[in-house]
Amino acid sequence: MKRLATLLLVLVATSAVAAEPVRLPILVPVTGFLSLEGTSQRNGALLALKQAPAEPAVSGEVIDTATAPENAANALLRALDEGPVPAIVAPMLGTQMLALMPMAAEEKLPLVTVSGTASLTEQGNPWVFRFFPSDRLAKEAQVRYTVEQLGKRKLALIYQTTAYGQSGATYIAASAKRHGASLVFSEGIDTDVKDLAPILGRAAASGADALLLHLHAGSTALAIRQVASLGITLPVVAGSALHQPATAALLDPKELKGMCAESGSSPVSGGSPALDQFLADYRAAFGTDPDAYALAQYDGTRMLLDILAHGARTGEQVRAALATGAWDGVAMHYASDGHGDMAHSAVILCYGGLTRVPKIVQRYDGLDAG
Amino acid sequence: MPADGLGPELLTLAQLLLNGLALGAAYALVALGFVLVLNATGAVNFAQGDMVMLGGYAAVALGHLLPGAGLLLLPLVMLAMAVFGLLFSALAWRPFRHRPPIFGLLATVALGLTLQEAMNALEGAAPQAGPAFVGTGEIRLGPLGLPRAALGIVIACLVLGLAQGWLLGRTQFGRRLRASAQDPVTARALGLPVDRLIAASFALATALAGAVGLLLSGPYFVTPTAGNDLILRAYIAATIGGWGSLKGAVAGALMIALFESVVAGYASSVVATASLYGAVLLLLAVRPAGLFPAPLGRRA
Repeated sequence: MKRLATLLLVLVATSAVAAEPVRLPILVPVTGFLSLEGTSQRNGALLALKQAPAEPAVSGEVIDTATAPENAANALLRALDEGPVPAIVAPMLGTQMLALMPMAAEEKLPLVTVSGTASLTEQGNPWVFRFFPSDRLAKEAQVRYTVEQLGKRKLALIYQTTAYGQSGATYIAASAKRHGASLVFSEGIDTDVKDLAPILGRAAASGADALLLHLHAGSTALAIRQVASLGITLPVVAGSALHQPATAALLDPKELKGMCAESGSSPVSGGSPALDQFLADYRAAFGTDPDAYALAQYDGTRMLLDILAHGARTGEQVRAALATGAWDGVAMHYASDGHGDMAHSAVILCYGGLTRVPKIVQRYDGLDAG
Repeated sequence: MPADGLGPELLTLAQLLLNGLALGAAYALVALGFVLVLNATGAVNFAQGDMVMLGGYAAVALGHLLPGAGLLLLPLVMLAMAVFGLLFSALAWRPFRHRPPIFGLLATVALGLTLQEAMNALEGAAPQAGPAFVGTGEIRLGPLGLPRAALGIVIACLVLGLAQGWLLGRTQFGRRLRASAQDPVTARALGLPVDRLIAASFALATALAGAVGLLLSGPYFVTPTAGNDLILRAYIAATIGGWGSLKGAVAGALMIALFESVVAGYASSVVATASLYGAVLLLLAVRPAGLFPAPLGRRA
């Protein structure tokens, strides 16, 4: 009888422990200047949680990191205060990631992010896993398409003077040099510049045969609008901001005609049953269209959940699985390159002028293979 | 682009000037509202840019409700924003009216930031496009293509600026407004409803900001932080124009916009910004009171 009581006690205790869900903090910037992209990141993670395997139960807690690095650090401390976690969905803002990385190393916590800041995975920190092509890869795709597919070798570049913009401009310049193209015009603009006609006019008059943009969403839309209104006929290949449905929504389909952009993916373009299903699920859950950040975070979180479903519970176990495993996601195939870069593909999409839904015209896989 | 007698350089300059004039006219209306409140209360209203932002969102909302309303949206947005201006004065100025001006200044900063975060929470950070005030495309004048949006902004700002001049200079209401701004103690002793007149100044300034919000939201979009750079320009315009001078604010605003368009057109936007601030410093060194210093006691 005593043995039976002990067994019952153990069973009750075990079931209580088993019922305790695994906590997965979602640290994302849902306020501040990056809230559009941060909200996409959050939605991608939440949709993945909604579709998580039945076991183990996983609870996601969203904590806003806004835009300051210290906010992200405080958010991580807050998440850890409430007990151990096996991993963190980490903010896409590069400066916040840089603040979190030493903390993650100390706590032995994998950070699963969609930040494009290339330097994150170049610092030898084994706890960072990026499910979005880094700026280095994305800019490689942008330049390669312009040079190889459009046959243009005299490039004009307009970039933002923010850290994001300057970093991208550096990669574009390096990539252009690698592909035998030259930047005949390169100039930065502040985010508060409203009238882009002067700079566009000089870019068009520079002798360039293609125009590359590496701008935030608002400036990208302004540039596209003013390119159309000024009658500039240079082919335009923009940065990933143009692929976002919210950016395209600012423009008339006619203004978008012929404009192309690089991106990690283009969920609204569809193209596979898995993508169509993701699009339908996302729209049903959030009433809006997803962008590449949402899909990348969805894929990253799905891989994380699969690792948990296979029994990993500690940060070290999850890190080992992320570092050695692979995942066939909706957007692409993911596997670490040994530095935490899981995404190695990018796409080029172009708008036809009739709708705001672009078509994928080129896909680059294994961009970092060389 | 056909030259038709005008050289391409001249055409480019004309386009740059028109764009600069359109932005300058919009900046001027913001600066006018800024100076109006400054003269009425003695305090800097750092939320004037956020009022422009709010006007932009009001235009987006009304544009959805009344698609194709075009010009009709202008009085509607201005009316809605004037009502909001009264509320704003009740929150940002009235509780602090017997305190030093720094209290009012801090209140406007706080309310401005609150408005930004509220709009971020309600609408998100993504830019939104407002309605086309006077259509899109260009009007051709020979070889010169004049963007409708830029022309609409210039004309609307000119009309509103002149209307404000008439209101302040030629009406009993304007005279009372100026009297209460110049010497509120004497005005109060003479029976003028000074507090209500100051609230009216807020309403007028906010209505002007709302008009700018509508005019800019179409061609340049609106975001929750769109007012930040506008208030900086309004502050600089008021400083170089002459602190408290209405015509100085207009001149300062036009100067800023011409630097942004014309200098950026021939050099770069970085050079334009650097040379603008260099010119501001030089001007203040030569004329510390600004281009049109307002005589003490004769402001507004």
